[in-house]
Amino acid sequence: MKLIICVDDNNGMMFNRRRQSKDREVRHDILAYTMPERIWMNEYSLEQFETDDTSRIQVANNFLIQADDNDYCFIENGQYLIDESRLDEIVLYHWNRVYPADYYFDIDLHGWTLADQKEFKGFSHDKITREIWTR
Amino acid sequence: MDKMKKLKLLLANIILAGVLVLGGCADAGDSSQSSSSKETTTQESASSEDQNTNAEDNSDDTSAQADSGNTAGSDTAGKTKAAASKAKTSAVSTSKIPKYSGSPYIKVHNNVPFFKKSDLTKKVFEKYSKLDALGRCRTAYANVCKATMPTEKRGRIGMVKPSGWHTVKYNNVDGKYLYNRCHLIGYQLTAENANESNLMTGTRYLNVDGMLPFENMVADYVKETNNHVLYRVTPIYTDENLLADGVLMEAESVEDKGKGISYCVYVYNVQPGIKIDYETGDSSAKDSRRSGQSSAKGTYIINENTNKFHKPDCRSVKMMKDKNKKTYTGKRSELINSGYEPCKNCNP
Repeated sequence: MKLIICVDDNNGMMFNRRRQSKDREVRHDILAYTMPERIWMNEYSLEQFETDDTSRIQVANNFLIQADDNDYCFIENGQYLIDESRLDEIVLYHWNRVYPADYYFDIDLHGWTLADQKEFKGFSHDKITREIWTR
Repeated sequence: MDKMKKLKLLLANIILAGVLVLGGCADAGDSSQSSSSKETTTQESASSEDQNTNAEDNSDDTSAQADSGNTAGSDTAGKTKAAASKAKTSAVSTSKIPKYSGSPYIKVHNNVPFFKKSDLTKKVFEKYSKLDALGRCRTAYANVCKATMPTEKRGRIGMVKPSGWHTVKYNNVDGKYLYNRCHLIGYQLTAENANESNLMTGTRYLNVDGMLPFENMVADYVKETNNHVLYRVTPIYTDENLLADGVLMEAESVEDKGKGISYCVYVYNVQPGIKIDYETGDSSAKDSRRSGQSSAKGTYIINENTNKFHKPDCRSVKMMKDKNKKTYTGKRSELINSGYEPCKNCNP
């Protein structure tokens, strides 16, 4: 199973039950990178894809349980118990900004390999950094 | 200061506190304007000699009581009394805000801003309150959107000396200077640069660690969505202090009724390691022997890429690349003097 997560400079993900930020270029990159696999997410996340091709997007509240090994899971809000033994890839998008946060990404990446890193210009962010971590 | 002025100042502060309950500082006398035009209200500093000045100043704040159900639209005295009584029940007052304990901000009112539903419109405006009798800035309030955002780089603001201003440096302060001229509403949101009604004396910590992340969140949301965000910043003073104890920051996105942006936080105007006299703005380094923290030896993890240092069990250490990671054992104060910043999460 593969995770997709967006974080700020302090590994923050959310504040006051809302995403810290969003960017249409990040969504485009997510859809391009994950082709042709399925992407699981909840209703809250689906809302930001409303103008994109959602044909590969599966929506469920318990999507971490339903996702197969090759599927991607886009996590923004809520606390999910992640069975880390099932994870073989984490796609981390860095906003390269500092936002307020009260919910953080806290998976220990020791033992993971940074397989790929790229930077690109966001629509509302000067620079987005995408990291691909694999076991 | 004579007794009359003191009384008027006290009244102004009570009214200001009342704003926080009743929410908003909509101008009751506002004429209708198209939503595409930008309405900016930046008033000149009131004359201290004018007996009616404070009443006029109060009108900025008393008009905010519109949602209290007070129908005395033009009766400033009536609104003032209503505001004073409301202020007694305000959930936001300096006496009720917990002391600073390591986080640059604290959530207030369950992190729900005090705006009314009727405030959430697309009408673009910016309102900057007159300076009070002590020359202190007060509430700044705007409906932020792409139209209010700057199209050029920020200019000089050094000519403005907000109340309590001192130019003073410390080695253990990021950027050395203790105080910044802090925009109440950040330049990136409304392009107000050297407006003295939008600038307060704030610590580096308040400006960068406290307020900036919240501004960033609003700015990037507006750029991405082209939506509007109601945004209000209120400095909170104790008595006649020239330096604010902190600021109340409120924001709520309009088109999605707060689903995108919604917060209500109090940001502390403090600087770790520095003692501040809020009456005058004077400052001094805290006694490291008494605090025990700066001179204590410990083991820290330095990130050579970000120039920050962490406790060994900080979550950020787990994310650190090995090539950037360096273990240091020694005095915390030496790390700061060497230019490293403490992590805001683990607060080493």
